[in-house]
Amino acid sequence: MARIVVDPIARIEGHLRIEAQLEGNGIKDAWSSGTMFRGIEMILKDRDPREAWIWAQRICGVCTMVHALASVRAVEDALQIEVPENAQVVRNIIAGSQLLQDHVVHFYHLHALDWVDVVSALRADPGKTASLAQSISNYEKSSPTYFKGIQDRVKALVDSKQLSLFTQAYWGHPAYILPPEVNLMAVAHYLEALEWQKDFIRIHAVLGGKNPHPQTFLVGGMSTALDPNEPFAVVNNENINILRRLVAGAKKFIEQVYIPDVVAIAPFYKEWFKYGEGLGNFLCYGDYTNGSMKDPSKFLFPRGVVFNRDLSTVHPFDPAQVTEFVNHSWYEYKDGDDKGKHPWEGQTHPKYTGPKPPYEFLDVDKKYTWLKAPRYRGKPMEVGPLARMVVGYAAGQPDIKAAVDGLLKALNAPPAVLFSTLGRIAARALETQVMAKHVVDWVELLANNMNRGKVSIFNAAKWDPSSWGASSRGFGFHEAPRGALGHWVDIEGRSIKNYQAVVPTTWNGGPRDTQGQRGAYEAALINTPVAKADQPLEIMRTIHSFDPCIACAVHVVDAKGRPYTKLNIG
Amino acid sequence: MNESPVDSPAFPKTRTVVLGLGNLVHADDGVGVHAIHRLQQDPRVPPHVTLMDGGTMGIALLAHLSGTRRLIVVDAVDVGEPPGAIIRVEGPDLSGLPGKPSVHQLGFADLLITMQLLGEPPDEIVLLGVQPESTAWSADLTPKVEAALAPLADAVLNQLEAWG
Repeated sequence: MARIVVDPIARIEGHLRIEAQLEGNGIKDAWSSGTMFRGIEMILKDRDPREAWIWAQRICGVCTMVHALASVRAVEDALQIEVPENAQVVRNIIAGSQLLQDHVVHFYHLHALDWVDVVSALRADPGKTASLAQSISNYEKSSPTYFKGIQDRVKALVDSKQLSLFTQAYWGHPAYILPPEVNLMAVAHYLEALEWQKDFIRIHAVLGGKNPHPQTFLVGGMSTALDPNEPFAVVNNENINILRRLVAGAKKFIEQVYIPDVVAIAPFYKEWFKYGEGLGNFLCYGDYTNGSMKDPSKFLFPRGVVFNRDLSTVHPFDPAQVTEFVNHSWYEYKDGDDKGKHPWEGQTHPKYTGPKPPYEFLDVDKKYTWLKAPRYRGKPMEVGPLARMVVGYAAGQPDIKAAVDGLLKALNAPPAVLFSTLGRIAARALETQVMAKHVVDWVELLANNMNRGKVSIFNAAKWDPSSWGASSRGFGFHEAPRGALGHWVDIEGRSIKNYQAVVPTTWNGGPRDTQGQRGAYEAALINTPVAKADQPLEIMRTIHSFDPCIACAVHVVDAKGRPYTKLNIG
Repeated sequence: MNESPVDSPAFPKTRTVVLGLGNLVHADDGVGVHAIHRLQQDPRVPPHVTLMDGGTMGIALLAHLSGTRRLIVVDAVDVGEPPGAIIRVEGPDLSGLPGKPSVHQLGFADLLITMQLLGEPPDEIVLLGVQPESTAWSADLTPKVEAALAPLADAVLNQLEAWG
């Protein structure tokens, strides 16, 4: 039995490492190890809870906004604050557009190259590519001249050898099976998506402030002022029109490019409806409402749990049943590692006992990761787009049901295909489609409220700490693009006593627990075929289908060996 | 305040941007962002210069960098110098930095490439870097890197002055 290791970036940045045990041509067992060392609680301890979100949004390098949102919600839950409808709507638009942008970028820029062979695209016939594109969508950029232009541009880029984006894939691997024309179409849309997302995310600049990090969150609501006739208000008629243009463009791109591409590519890779989902347990905290966060019945993504792939029953979610284990993680609990702890009782005492780098393999019988192992009612759970679509489908949420049934019909496949790597990719596309429609509606609701004079967006009743109790605890949650995100805050007096964040990638990428139950990545890899042990593209396909985020990033540029000038100080 | 740059499909390529990168909760990793905060209080920075706290975002920054003609990036840089050393890397020497397409985030190297891919690379790019001592969890810089902040700000101003 060969052990293979996928450790893409052994540099200082946060990263993920997979060790897989091969037997024959398939994976017998797997271990997931992340360098995400959770230390946000040390940063937040003793701070004013009203400014926790400013620090919390730096937890993750990329998904900053989602932590800001979970953090204000945790404090609002602790202090029992209800925010006005406009605040919910603005948060929905900000978070919903983050989800749209994230999922498109994931599909085209972070995952497509596991399926699409850029080099093969250079051999495509632009005329045939145009016929293919026109047969699946009304998207206007589909002429032979357009695809020829893309082909020339990509050729120049590949020849220049400067593109790290394109150079680290397994080109020519036998598992790439798309015809050259499909590859060319996908590569063209890779470039279109890059251009589109750049324009689209300006929506955050309208509602979140010009700084790349949103600045308009407040415990109690948002600081985005509404006034139809005030040029200096953030939400006025002029900016509503910008929002309308951007969300309409998003809806069009998703309906005319992203969804048709998924439907066109999936049939070639139908085999991947058989692999890549291992747990069968799905958890969704639920999210997206114009009303109270305390009323899950109004959530667009229904709250609930599905066990053992049983779509006939959605179990209610009880936040008290979340625990985290550290028996395989580089932490120690002061009273022993044999039991899990609820996040409110959470402890973060790092204790690295792994091998000293450089090393060949981790000692997976002992502690082998910086990720804790979260469990729900003692069971490992998958979170994310697939969990949301599975729970939403089982709960009969009308938009989700229509989207899922539509896709299954187009692919002539039963619901069981969802439980797979390709099912996870499809689920992400489907929720993007569902979300686009709702973001459009939220912009109209905001415009309507504003023009009727309903402009309240901040509830100041509990802003003054003298209005708080002696101590309180809150759970803030958000269905982030990668899945269920929870922040737990414990407030004593006017400051934070304890703070814990359980992020989606901890649910999915975490290790085994005291009962030896695997985490979601680990379980998903079992029985996956691997054609070439030295080029484990199949492992990438399944792990990337989760959209792993171990990006609680540090950002040191690795410039060793480059010419530089040293500047004298003083 | 409400000039709505967000709605211009493309800026004319005239902007000068100082982009601070790094993570404020990882000690010296945040030096670029600390430098931006310092420059925001510095009256010597010419008004036409945009100071931007980019955090650790990758291609999400593309929207904010549209129309950039001259770009100074301030970041922690590992070149094996003693902690606090300030270094300067220019233009062509920056191309082909190790990218990281294998995990979900796309870093600074990929940001430069995508600007090129979209046909709007800045005409000039200068990286001003500080060798970090620690990138452990902390909201504070280590003393040697803290001491480098003032000369780092001067280095940014010198570069801006050289560009005129």
